[in-house]
Amino acid sequence: MKLLKCPVNGLRPIDEFAYGGELREMPDPQSCSDGEWADYVFNRTGAPGVKPEWWYHIPSGTWFVAERNTVTDMVERTYFRGEA
Amino acid sequence: MPYRLIKFAFSKQHPEAAFFRQPAQIRDSYDAVIIGGGGHGLAAAYYLARDHGITNVAVLERGYLGGGNTGRNTTIIRSNYLTPEGVAFYDASVKIWENLSQELDLNLFYSNRGHFTLAHTESAMRTMRWRAEVNKQMGVKSEVLGPDDIQQACPQIDLSCAGHAPILGALYHAPGSVARHDGVAWGYGRAASQMGVEIFQNTEVTGLDIRGGRIHGVQTNRGNIKTGKVLSAVAGFTPRITQMAGIRTPIVIHPLQACVTEPMKPWLNTILVSGSLHVYVSQSSRGELVMGAALDPYELHSTRSTLDFVEGLSSHILDMFPFLSGIKVVRQWAGMADMTPDFAPIMGRTPVAGFYLDAGWGTWGFKATPISGKTMAETMARDQEPELIDAFRLSRFREFELTGEKGAAAVGH
Amino acid sequence: MSYRLPQQSGEWIDRNLTFSFSFEGKTYQACNGDTVSSALWASGVRVLGRSFKYHRPRGVLSLANHDINVMLENGIDINLRADVLPVTAGMKLDAVNTAGGVVKDYLSVLGWLAPFLPAGFYYKAFHRPRLLFPFWENIIRRMAGLGVMNPKAPRLVSPKTNLHCDVLVVGGGPAGMNAALVAAKQGARVILVDENARLGGTLGYDSSSGLGPGQQLEQLCEEIEAHADIEVHLSSYAAGYYADHLLPLIGPEGMAKVRTRQLIVASGAYEQPAVFRNNDLPGIMLGSAAQRLIQRYAVKPFERGVVLAGNEQAWRVALDLLAAGVELAAVIDLRMDPPPAGLIPPAVLVYSGYCIYEAVGSSGLEGVWACPWDGQGNADQSRAIYIPCDGIAMSVGWAPASALLYQAGAKMKYDEDCQQFVPDSLPPGVHAAGRVNGIYGLADSLADGERAALGALGLSSVINLLPASQASHPWPLVEHPKAKNFVDFDEDLQLKDFATAAQEGFNNIELMKRFTTVGMGPSQGKHSNMNAIRVLARLRDEPIQRVGSTTARPFFHPVPMGHLAGRSFHPVRHTPLHGWHQQHEASFTYVGAWQRPAWYGPDKATAIVNEVRAVRHAAGLIDVGTLGKFELRGLEAGEFLERFYTGHFLQQKIGTTRYALLLDESGVITDDGVVARLAEDFYYVTASTSNAAAVYREMTRCLQLWGLEVTIVNLTGSYAAFNIAGPLSRQLMEGLTTADLKQISNGGAIETQVAGQQARVMNVRFVSDLAYEVHAPAQSILSIWQALVEAGQSCGLKPFGIDAQRLLRLEMGHFIVGHDTDGLTHPFEAGLDWALAKDKTFYIGQRSLKIKANKPLTKKLVGFTLPHPPANLPDECTLVLEQGRIAGRVTSIAFSPTLGQVIGLAYVAPEAGIAGKRFVIRHQDGSDVAAIVSKLPFSGAAA
Ligand SMILES: Cc1cc2nc3c(=O)[nH]c(=O)nc-3n(C[C@H](O)[C@H](O)[C@H](O)COP(=O)(O)OP(=O)(O)OC[C@H]3O[C@@H](n4cnc5c(N)ncnc54)[C@H](O)[C@@H]3O)c2cc1C
Repeated sequence: MKLLKCPVNGLRPIDEFAYGGELREMPDPQSCSDGEWADYVFNRTGAPGVKPEWWYHIPSGTWFVAERNTVTDMVERTYFRGEA
Repeated sequence: MPYRLIKFAFSKQHPEAAFFRQPAQIRDSYDAVIIGGGGHGLAAAYYLARDHGITNVAVLERGYLGGGNTGRNTTIIRSNYLTPEGVAFYDASVKIWENLSQELDLNLFYSNRGHFTLAHTESAMRTMRWRAEVNKQMGVKSEVLGPDDIQQACPQIDLSCAGHAPILGALYHAPGSVARHDGVAWGYGRAASQMGVEIFQNTEVTGLDIRGGRIHGVQTNRGNIKTGKVLSAVAGFTPRITQMAGIRTPIVIHPLQACVTEPMKPWLNTILVSGSLHVYVSQSSRGELVMGAALDPYELHSTRSTLDFVEGLSSHILDMFPFLSGIKVVRQWAGMADMTPDFAPIMGRTPVAGFYLDAGWGTWGFKATPISGKTMAETMARDQEPELIDAFRLSRFREFELTGEKGAAAVGH
Repeated sequence: MSYRLPQQSGEWIDRNLTFSFSFEGKTYQACNGDTVSSALWASGVRVLGRSFKYHRPRGVLSLANHDINVMLENGIDINLRADVLPVTAGMKLDAVNTAGGVVKDYLSVLGWLAPFLPAGFYYKAFHRPRLLFPFWENIIRRMAGLGVMNPKAPRLVSPKTNLHCDVLVVGGGPAGMNAALVAAKQGARVILVDENARLGGTLGYDSSSGLGPGQQLEQLCEEIEAHADIEVHLSSYAAGYYADHLLPLIGPEGMAKVRTRQLIVASGAYEQPAVFRNNDLPGIMLGSAAQRLIQRYAVKPFERGVVLAGNEQAWRVALDLLAAGVELAAVIDLRMDPPPAGLIPPAVLVYSGYCIYEAVGSSGLEGVWACPWDGQGNADQSRAIYIPCDGIAMSVGWAPASALLYQAGAKMKYDEDCQQFVPDSLPPGVHAAGRVNGIYGLADSLADGERAALGALGLSSVINLLPASQASHPWPLVEHPKAKNFVDFDEDLQLKDFATAAQEGFNNIELMKRFTTVGMGPSQGKHSNMNAIRVLARLRDEPIQRVGSTTARPFFHPVPMGHLAGRSFHPVRHTPLHGWHQQHEASFTYVGAWQRPAWYGPDKATAIVNEVRAVRHAAGLIDVGTLGKFELRGLEAGEFLERFYTGHFLQQKIGTTRYALLLDESGVITDDGVVARLAEDFYYVTASTSNAAAVYREMTRCLQLWGLEVTIVNLTGSYAAFNIAGPLSRQLMEGLTTADLKQISNGGAIETQVAGQQARVMNVRFVSDLAYEVHAPAQSILSIWQALVEAGQSCGLKPFGIDAQRLLRLEMGHFIVGHDTDGLTHPFEAGLDWALAKDKTFYIGQRSLKIKANKPLTKKLVGFTLPHPPANLPDECTLVLEQGRIAGRVTSIAFSPTLGQVIGLAYVAPEAGIAGKRFVIRHQDGSDVAAIVSKLPFSGAAA
């Protein structure tokens, strides 16, 4: 089983974590067009690469961001959102 | 002894021609280019040639034919979906499957086994009822059965599942079948090749030539090709191609794993799927148990295997079949499933004129190989989707008109 | 006759402990330490199994866990490998997949049919006419498959362990043993694993007659045993490599999962067979198999034999055979080179530049035809020599056991000098040593082990050793017009099958594998892939490096499912009232991992009716402790809830409750619950049982996203709750609390004492207009519950389960998320427009609803009644039809004892969703049932 580093709890086996998907910026719902909103809701950056993602450490209830290479599965760093 | 085999024994020369012509050179222009030499791409090439007379076609495959998800899948074929659009579509596919070995003159071992989706909870039973009713309404054979019927079809099963998750009933789908995956790619490839389609392996598309909102050609590791029509049928590689096209889609790649045991004499004659236990199993004609489970939980463009997968899967299989604990798993593998949020495919035209998408096949696209080939060929030939695939258009997301196949596709394939 | 030799130094058998066992109905003797194959071979048995396709007789090939044609069944387990299965007293064994026994297997006639059955034959026939395919398929399925499954076999439950170390060394040969020692001496914690019962690897059997490594082996073993930091696992194999250096070691007792910092793969190499006609006859074995028979089990491999030589090892095999008293008829050397000095066997005929063209025999080897050859597969038959013999030891080359390296992501290259794939680049933390690295010879192997160990510890100063020269012959294959020269023993693939496959267009390694099935049998190509690659390289006229090899996937050896499963683990959650429910005849049902009472009492139907009646006419109690329960505190808690749920919470009055509807970003309903405001900066929120964890998770994510001043505490487990409902509920509650409950009867909430315990009481009208939800710490809930039960005893209070709850809420016209909605239902369809705040700037899903609001509705959730209910009601999820088209479905349906009629919820076409209109339900039996849209709540329900 893969290991993932939680910023609070350190390296833990991956089955202690839940994946929260790509970290995405929400467009301003007031000013964005319907098309921009639908793009935000449904579309994803599916192409491989290093991406910031939401991860959740289940036992401790900790959300954080992991920058992960989606080809090699190597995690480059983990941090709390806003602390990049 | 079939005549075809007798020829082998008595001919001096090997009596069979090569499956595929292997032209040495790629020409610099084709009427259509198909990216991806999996079942879908090759089927599309076949129907382009057969139904629309378009034979000046190149199929480009980065690796070898059928080496993507086609050659990794567990080959469950069924049409007991949840939405009327899904049922109609997959049913049309099953109808082609039934005569495909004869049509392609290749024995695909299309083996009609019957398909049981086991329900261990009341809410699963409700979903089975829902699917059964939609199926019946669409003329597809499905019914809800009780535990006794299941026991009769598979006397070896422990209906109590070791007491943890007693089986309350099942959705039984008589047309459920399995087939030989490689053969499907080879059969379509051979038939397309015989009609003039050129197939190139070890040929990777590295870029698309798009100008003025229209496709003009593709770039490959073996040079550029001019063409006005391009089909992307690359399953787990779709996001890479759509990125080249500048098109955004909801597709995210997750690994899907499977494994097989050592061969044993036949005892399991049906295809069994358990949504609650997240496993499914059938016995191949070689005698191996072919087993799979739920999708890996996070995005990954890789075909690596995990130990947790076989551990979890074995535990659940043994809940149903405790006597298999001494049976050995020989091999595990994975494919890259192109997942959509509503578990329905994405098919048809795109914002780039002349560039067509056949994707979002996730964990369920093998069974669709014939019908997707046929409908995509028509879409390419006419630049217009047939009604049958309208529900699968890319624009449904922008329009907030998703297709809601999640309930039927989540584990069952 | 017995082939048992006098005592060999270092033999693995214990001659003082013998027992009998049976094979195919005959009884044989074995020594403790024997494998089934060694014991049978010692007894002179030669046909140990039958091949898969042609049912050809097969004997000992490798004696190293690759003899996949010698598989056994014992009545419980199948496909047991005789070459490594230790004999135990009284075993009763049969060969798998024979028709009429291993000796007289009548399916061996299939061999005659071989010309009709070329590679991939089953793609070419049996599909016409279509109707006959099931007939052929049935035959093919029966022919395929090895052992016969025993459905009565017991479930093995083996424990799993987790281990951690600094260095894991896979392979206990000289390279691995030395690597382990060097690493341990540097202070590393080491695990050393070997699939054999003893350490030593090649050192244990390739002792080459008097060269003296026996002593070296003893010394290494002693040192390893003495070292406190080396943990040795024998009879265990590393079954695969997984991310972050996780390797499962599979032993006889179960699985140990090892997480290591550094991995040294010293897994050696598999000896490879030569390919010539009838190369599978019993008596023909690998040189190393002959050595294993002699050194480990003290069994003479054959009486009079030849050695087929393609490398230096062959000469050591020859010496070993002589020492064991075998009459060595000849050494047939594929090469022209003279034997290396010091290894020249005395007085033995050596045919240099010869190959074996054909072996002769029926159920065992009787002789060989040797011919001069061109080194490229072509024999000169004009100069053939016949040598009578009953055995051949083949030492022509090796293939690295590099599966773990491949799985770890190593890149391999073909070393033309060594004629072997060797690692080209290795991933971080992974090292290779010994034969897998192309390093042969004792001194070099030890040195390579040391180098790998120092490398693993970051202390490497030693330079890489060069792979050995000519460890393998480049082309150990001989053409024969009559074929039966097997490349793959698992699948009975002959040399010509590859040419056929290539000719048909399957000329890359992966396609060839799939078309011919080479390497897809139980041995996973350990003895066949290398030769297949050579053949393909030649067919394509390309160097082997360009042809490459197929991907090596787990497992290294097959792993029993019982070991993989271990003890299966099924956690169950109980509320603090569970014991009480049990004492009161509750029947339980699962809601996720929770067990909840479905009804109380022996008979379901009467229980539910009585429970419903109690709630409508007196009072009922239901355990709702499984609800998600969260406390939100902070100045911005109200703001948080405004964004999270669809309703208004900032203006919510202290001491009141509000309905909370949760959407996802696309506007789909995902959950609902209740928000109680207990103080200016303090809200108490519930979520449905099945979504509790997901809602909490999403709350905490949004909190981080929005950066608001709120703390969220998840009380789902530490708080418990129940609902008391019905006309007498207030009266009963008031007897136990001083609070004025009338005050909260219209959507209020208070913190107060109930039955002497601190509790939160909320007016939640899901099942009845008069109902209170009491939330209290887990440890105090039982006493409150019991106090109420006692107080209610005289007036008809009853506990009720979730079946009655479903019915009660249906009478009230309430929907249940997930039951009456699906993965795409949005609030407009569910008739929840009223729950959407119109004047907020943001809540999750709002923007999407704005888009959906502009689209026509396609269906609508309505209440309905059945004017003429059939005896057998339509099931939930039967369809609502509109002129034969599917318009919607029934989501809930039941006979309401309160109303005396059948009621339900269903999705119908929007224009049909007007009270009083009729619509049609398609019953599961195919009939049509008329339904009438009803206003909600169903009138007269709310008692
Ligand atoms: C383990 C597993 C089990 C499954 N089980 C089932 C099942 O039981 N039933 C079912 O119906 N479905 C199942 N599926 C899903 C099914 O396998 C796929 O949906 C289906 O095979 C997709 O076929 P395809 O031809 O579209 O894609 P593929 O077969 O993946 O073919 C795409 C091809 O495109 C090539 N390609 C990619 N990029 C490029 C490029 N740039 N240039 C050139 N070529 C390129 C790839 O190499 C590949 O060969 C399963 C999938 C997996 C992984």
